[in-house]
Amino acid sequence: MGDFDRQAAAALYGGADAGDWFSGARRASRAAWLVSDWPGRKTEEWKYTSLDALESGSWLRVPPHASGGVDHRIAGLEADYLVFRNGRFDAEASRVEPVSGLQIHRLADAPEHLRERFGSIASGTANPFAALAACWTEDAVLVHLEEGTIAPRPLCVVHLGDDAAAGCAWAQRLLLVAGARSELTLVEHFPGGAAAFVTGLTEIDLQPGAQLRHIRLQLDAEEAVHIGGVHVDLRDASAYRGFVLATGSRLKRLDVRLRHRGPGADAALDAVYLARRSQLVDLHTTVEHESPHCTTREICRGIVDDEARAVFNGRILIRPGAQKTSADLSNRNLLLSDRAEVDTKPELEIYADDVKCSHGATVSRIDEKSLYYLQSRGIAREEAEVLLAFGFVNALFAGVELAPVQALMDAGLREWFGSRAPEALT
Amino acid sequence: MSEQIHELIRKDYEAGFVTAIESETIPPGLSEDVVRVISSKKGEPEWLLDWRLKAFRAWRGMPEPGWAHVNFPPVDFEAVSYYSAPKSLQDGPKSLEDVDPELLKTYEKLGIPLHERARLAGVAVDAVFDSVSVVTTFKGKLAEAGVVFCPISEAVHTHPELVRKYLGSVVPQRDNFYAALNSAVFSDGSFVYIPKGVRCPMELSTYFRINEAKTGQFERTLIIADEGSHVSYLEGCTAPMRDENQLHAAVVELVALKGARIKYSTVQNWYPGDKDGKGGIYNFVTKRGVCHDDAHISWTQVETGSAITWKYPSVVLRGDNSVGEFYSVALTNNCQQADTGTKMIHLGRNTRSTIVSKGISAGRSSNAYRGLVRINPGAEGARNHTQCDSLLIGDASAAHTFPYIECRNSSAVVEHEATTSKVSEDQLFLCRQRGLDAEKAVSMIVNGFCREVFKELPMEFAVEAGKLLEVSLEGSVG
Amino acid sequence: MDHGHMLSIRNLGARIGEKQILKGIDLEIKPGEVHAIMGPNGSGKSTLGYVLSGREGYEVTGGEVSFRGKDLLAMQTEERAREGLFLAFQYPVEIPGVSNMEFLKAAVDASRAHRGLEAFDAVRFMKLARETCTRVNLAQDFLKRGVNEGFSGGEKKRNEILQMMLLEPSLAVLDETDSGLDIDALQVVAAGVNSMRSPDRSFIVVTHYQRLLDFIVPDVVHVLAGGRIVRSGGRELALELEEKGYAWIEREVV
Repeated sequence: MGDFDRQAAAALYGGADAGDWFSGARRASRAAWLVSDWPGRKTEEWKYTSLDALESGSWLRVPPHASGGVDHRIAGLEADYLVFRNGRFDAEASRVEPVSGLQIHRLADAPEHLRERFGSIASGTANPFAALAACWTEDAVLVHLEEGTIAPRPLCVVHLGDDAAAGCAWAQRLLLVAGARSELTLVEHFPGGAAAFVTGLTEIDLQPGAQLRHIRLQLDAEEAVHIGGVHVDLRDASAYRGFVLATGSRLKRLDVRLRHRGPGADAALDAVYLARRSQLVDLHTTVEHESPHCTTREICRGIVDDEARAVFNGRILIRPGAQKTSADLSNRNLLLSDRAEVDTKPELEIYADDVKCSHGATVSRIDEKSLYYLQSRGIAREEAEVLLAFGFVNALFAGVELAPVQALMDAGLREWFGSRAPEALT
Repeated sequence: MSEQIHELIRKDYEAGFVTAIESETIPPGLSEDVVRVISSKKGEPEWLLDWRLKAFRAWRGMPEPGWAHVNFPPVDFEAVSYYSAPKSLQDGPKSLEDVDPELLKTYEKLGIPLHERARLAGVAVDAVFDSVSVVTTFKGKLAEAGVVFCPISEAVHTHPELVRKYLGSVVPQRDNFYAALNSAVFSDGSFVYIPKGVRCPMELSTYFRINEAKTGQFERTLIIADEGSHVSYLEGCTAPMRDENQLHAAVVELVALKGARIKYSTVQNWYPGDKDGKGGIYNFVTKRGVCHDDAHISWTQVETGSAITWKYPSVVLRGDNSVGEFYSVALTNNCQQADTGTKMIHLGRNTRSTIVSKGISAGRSSNAYRGLVRINPGAEGARNHTQCDSLLIGDASAAHTFPYIECRNSSAVVEHEATTSKVSEDQLFLCRQRGLDAEKAVSMIVNGFCREVFKELPMEFAVEAGKLLEVSLEGSVG
Repeated sequence: MDHGHMLSIRNLGARIGEKQILKGIDLEIKPGEVHAIMGPNGSGKSTLGYVLSGREGYEVTGGEVSFRGKDLLAMQTEERAREGLFLAFQYPVEIPGVSNMEFLKAAVDASRAHRGLEAFDAVRFMKLARETCTRVNLAQDFLKRGVNEGFSGGEKKRNEILQMMLLEPSLAVLDETDSGLDIDALQVVAAGVNSMRSPDRSFIVVTHYQRLLDFIVPDVVHVLAGGRIVRSGGRELALELEEKGYAWIEREVV
């Protein structure tokens, strides 16, 4: 196993001594990062996830500045766009139409109430990379949707990386505070591009009655390393509907943590991960029910090909007093190759009795009966396999209501299956 | 069965008495000398002493496992006595006529009469009292079939080649902290050998009893089912009620050779401690079987006792077409903690495993299922199905499910399902509206919840199970 | 005490949490009578059955109920059942793993023990249960299956009637037993009930529709609205309701 130089990493961005309002937090994070235990096979949360791709590469460079001149939009998606290039905000490429009640700030000019929330939603996570992301934070957007504001368009945050940023490392940060009874669709788009190491934190605070549609398209470059986190606090009667598509990258780890912190909150999460070649994708989800009368429904599906490996860990934690909870998790995995591997661990940890919880996990290859059925209708076996694998994840894509996003995902899926993809019928 | 479960959740711990008998107990503490003393008391050959010493040295360098979902103060391994035997048994087990009547009474009281013409007429019993075997019944009848059923301390002398070949072959000395400890100081336990093609003519069973205070029990069981043979084996366990915690660290090894079939059933009713969690047995057990081609190992356990249970009866499916099964009911009440489950390791082609786990948590107890299903690359066509259900009774209890699934073969099919629910108000109301009282209603619902597992218990045992199963869910029904 | 009555309800009030559902019910039922209780949704029809059978969460706020001369409200749920009060549920709950037979035997044994009768021996009870199964048109393998486990809506309702037949209650409360039943199933259920009618057994038939009353002909019809019995009459009242709907009653009451 190689070495990841933690001292050098801590010193990569000198922001801890920058003297801005965030310096104190950077210093604390740097200290936490330096004393954290390096994840290994004996670390339960990293048991199946080798950091080889990170350790064997050399990533510790600050990327060059770049701005403007690229098309960052999702074709056909009418949205406000916030664009990051090589980890820095690109004001020139960003386009936001003013909406009353929607305030967008950069790190430096964030108002006090957002400064307080920034970093607090992700606090308490044992993941050392969350500390690294905080330590590296130079730039970020902090979004505040005021009470009762219904955003007329989706907000799309795009993270671009240039070829020149290959071998570089940076942090991605986003904070969204959605006020009481506000509504928004948030799209986080990582279109790939640079073989860089990105460590990120997206924090979302849903105030009572807020409703968020959150779509995260993590279409990383094939050789990239991405260690990200999505942390959502749900207050009374708020609703979170999340969708994650994860492809690309040699090593990808995404921690999604949803916390029900007020009665009546409702969370739904759909996730699709695809891994091929020698890629490793690791999706860790944690749903914490701290309040009564909350519901969670989670469906995660993965396809693993070649020598790739997929790791899934889905934890549902019902804290004492979180009565009348309903939580359900399903994880299904398709193995397309004999050399591929899936390690899955759905977990239930329950400290309240009046709850209904369930989880299920499967690992298999494509169902023989379905294959036979398609073959009996004259479809070649190989084509039938692709059709069925395609359908396995496509079923979840259908839940994303934005047609341009669906089209983008469909194209991505076709690209993934390459020449084996079925003909597009639309 | 329903009546028995009713008993199970109603009664106080009835096996909690102490037998007044003179015992020889070596002073507490663990050292190479203690290992030598145990070995010499059993008149063991040199190789076995060396084997024990090797394990002891390994154990000294091993950390105690901390990953299980249980909490308890550190065990002082120096405060435990590692060998205790009734004086009357100093010269080893004798025929039934020679056994101290006090001991016979003890087993009578526990519902395990040792006279061959008594109620358990179809079951051969090996009765282990603290560190030694009291008596083994039906040896003659079993010998006619070629079946060897005797204390392992005896088998060391009578079948050294088998013991030497298989001891530690399934659970290596260094497998884990408690297995290493057991390998160093193991006392008695049962040895079973079923010859090729023989269907064991009766159920075999071992009844474990801890009696002496401040002692641990470290039994070792080795079952070898030769090609094409069948055996059904049962074990039961009880201990007196004492305020201090007592340690039980057993190792069970099963070897199912080609086409053999082993059914291993356990009713574990070690003293669980009192309502406030005082006392009770720490039950840290390593049980594992290896299946060769076409072999079949089935574990059925009903776990109602012990203050702490740490136990994962496992099957290594080494041979092609072999089958592993695990059926478990784990009931915790008051302050009991259980972290139990299984491992199914699929190595051979077309191997199949089934896991059915039913956890019931009441009082302030904590009940965790922890399981591993591993499909290795060579396990072409492997299949696993796991069903894990938890039932909660009372809002201070906890239920957890930690299934690990590792799949490295694309032709495998692995399915895991888990649910958690409580005894619903609607179900209770329906039962009470039909005239059943709340406790009867709960016992009936709990019984229904466990049915899939209970039906796996052998008939002969099911009759006795009710007596062995008595644990109190008292006070948990509001 | 009035031994001439099966059930005597005086000014019964009940609430769920903070919500007052029953606001002063008065009802007298004599042995052998069939009373129908009709009313719009949310009028408290099901609540009445639950309160009579002592369901937790239904708090009696006032009034008295005498059942065969005894103070019903002082008894536990199971005592009421053993005294001969039976509630056929609108939505019978499933109890996985507990066989119907086991459940029925336990229930019948408990009631018989209460009355000082010996428990049936298993063989005799099995025979009785099988015969009763036939009477409600359920296949005998239903006895082996878990209580209501995987039963269709109609099968669950027939299972309720089966239980009623075996328990032989003095007073049966049928809570919307007709809901979700097709006409054939409805006739089976009604035939079962009618076969149980006798001079010393009474019924409360709770229903939203008068259709059931074509098959189970009531002696008295009550209309429940807003937590009170707002009108009582003969069979013709049910027909009038069918014709005019509940809005008419509600208007009159206000």
